[in-house]
Amino acid sequence: MRIIISTPLYPPDIAEPAPYTKELARRLSASHDVIIVTYGRVPEEVPGVKILVIDKRKPLLPRLFSYTLALLREARLANIIYLQNGASTELPAGIVARLTRIPLVAHIGDAIADEKASKSVILRALQKFAFSRAQTILTETPPPHPEVLPFEGFPAAALSAYEASWKNHLKQLERQFSYGK
Amino acid sequence: MGNNNQQESWEKYRNNELRGAAGALASLGFSLDEVQPHISGERYLMSGKKLVLVGSRTKDHLKVIIKVSSREEGIREIESERNARETLLHLRFAYYTFLSPEEILYIRHGGYLIFITAFIEQEKTFLEHDVRNQFNLALRAFKIQEGVHATTSSHARVIRNVFGIWGAEEYLSSFKEFKKISEGLYPGDEALRSALGRASLFLHDNAKTIEQYCGFLTHTDFVPHNIRVHGGEIYLLDHTSLRFGNKHEAMARFLNFMLLYNRPLESAFLQYMRENKTPEESLSLRLMRAYKIAFLLSFYVKSLERTSGDLNTLTRARIVLWTRALESVVGDESLADAVVEEYQLKRDSLRSPEEKRRQEKLH
Repeated sequence: MRIIISTPLYPPDIAEPAPYTKELARRLSASHDVIIVTYGRVPEEVPGVKILVIDKRKPLLPRLFSYTLALLREARLANIIYLQNGASTELPAGIVARLTRIPLVAHIGDAIADEKASKSVILRALQKFAFSRAQTILTETPPPHPEVLPFEGFPAAALSAYEASWKNHLKQLERQFSYGK
Repeated sequence: MGNNNQQESWEKYRNNELRGAAGALASLGFSLDEVQPHISGERYLMSGKKLVLVGSRTKDHLKVIIKVSSREEGIREIESERNARETLLHLRFAYYTFLSPEEILYIRHGGYLIFITAFIEQEKTFLEHDVRNQFNLALRAFKIQEGVHATTSSHARVIRNVFGIWGAEEYLSSFKEFKKISEGLYPGDEALRSALGRASLFLHDNAKTIEQYCGFLTHTDFVPHNIRVHGGEIYLLDHTSLRFGNKHEAMARFLNFMLLYNRPLESAFLQYMRENKTPEESLSLRLMRAYKIAFLLSFYVKSLERTSGDLNTLTRARIVLWTRALESVVGDESLADAVVEEYQLKRDSLRSPEEKRRQEKLH
């Protein structure tokens, strides 16, 4: 399956959904073609994953236009768009999903952006525009990777819980993605 | 200019400034402590035209830190620092913020710009905490810095004139300047020349990695004497060294400092990076360590002509040490403990009694 992950944030950005997206791409790339379309400058690479970056330093409108165009180009050969919430991806993904009729799965991984959307008429309308095309809106995110700290014990239990959480999350995603095939 | 002239000239400026400032401060209800640790010892090598003084508010004996200047250069520095503090408090794209000492007074008075903040009491200095606590405190401070990431053009508009924005190009051009200074003023040192040559290749070959981690708030002089620990929290004392640049610059400065003062803490952070971060981040940290060492080398080379006697001998020993440290960072090897210990012995035997006093309780 060819999966596009549309995300506003990606490492070296540190805020969610950046680390989540990178980890997800790494895991999905074992059995799928994964393309990430994001904003940034020099992204952290993931072997086997294509990453398209739109320069964040462009003014807002050209930035959104470039992003939409990049997403549209990739979407023509894709099976699914997996959208991470945020106004800068919701608008392009909403447009592309309508134009190409490619299935869209949305994920609310950025709680701050979601809260902003709930308080702003425009942002709420943008979110609605994208989410109304989504076959599902997922809200669960695996916890952040536990840190291994030099003066603390090895976090074996937290790491097991982390792995289990990802296993469940991937199972849920695979199910959603296969509906859209 | 020799050591004595340079030092005498600075001491003359300091004494004049101090006399005038004391009068201006007294009329504002503040007095100065008898002992002023921030304007003695080797301080003349690094001080600009600004004094950092310790004093108290007369009405309630509140202990304060006073930054004062009557010179244009110093006034500009104090204004920038205040501006940085204010901007930092109101950044919309900051996930966390640093704690800063409370502002007591900011005023132009009697020909001086005076900036007074509360003195942050600390039970013990940073290095007096156990290493685990030091690690946790410093890690939290690095996380605060990386939580402020300026990425869009609107972010850049807010911070450009306050903090400055550095990318790989600025780091490379600044490194080139350090190299030119060191090689130009200290031409006979082959080891230094060779280390800087290798570092130059290392930085240029990995310019993309430097750029990758740019855009983050970073404190370019993140060392214990620029912070204070109170109630388990870190307070930032110096806002003049903040910029938006490579996010590992602060940690690089910190680890280079710890190479001399606390090697277990340096090792702990290197282990933390290896076990929790990507290889690109560890590389970026090494690149920044090399860059910061090149800065230190150029600083000490420049200091040679301003020093004499024991301080000149000590400055030469510092150049030898940091040249070897640069070689080890570029080669991704740990500098032998024996090299550091040998330097420390030499340093302790060459420091003036005044400088030794200044160093007490500094870190």
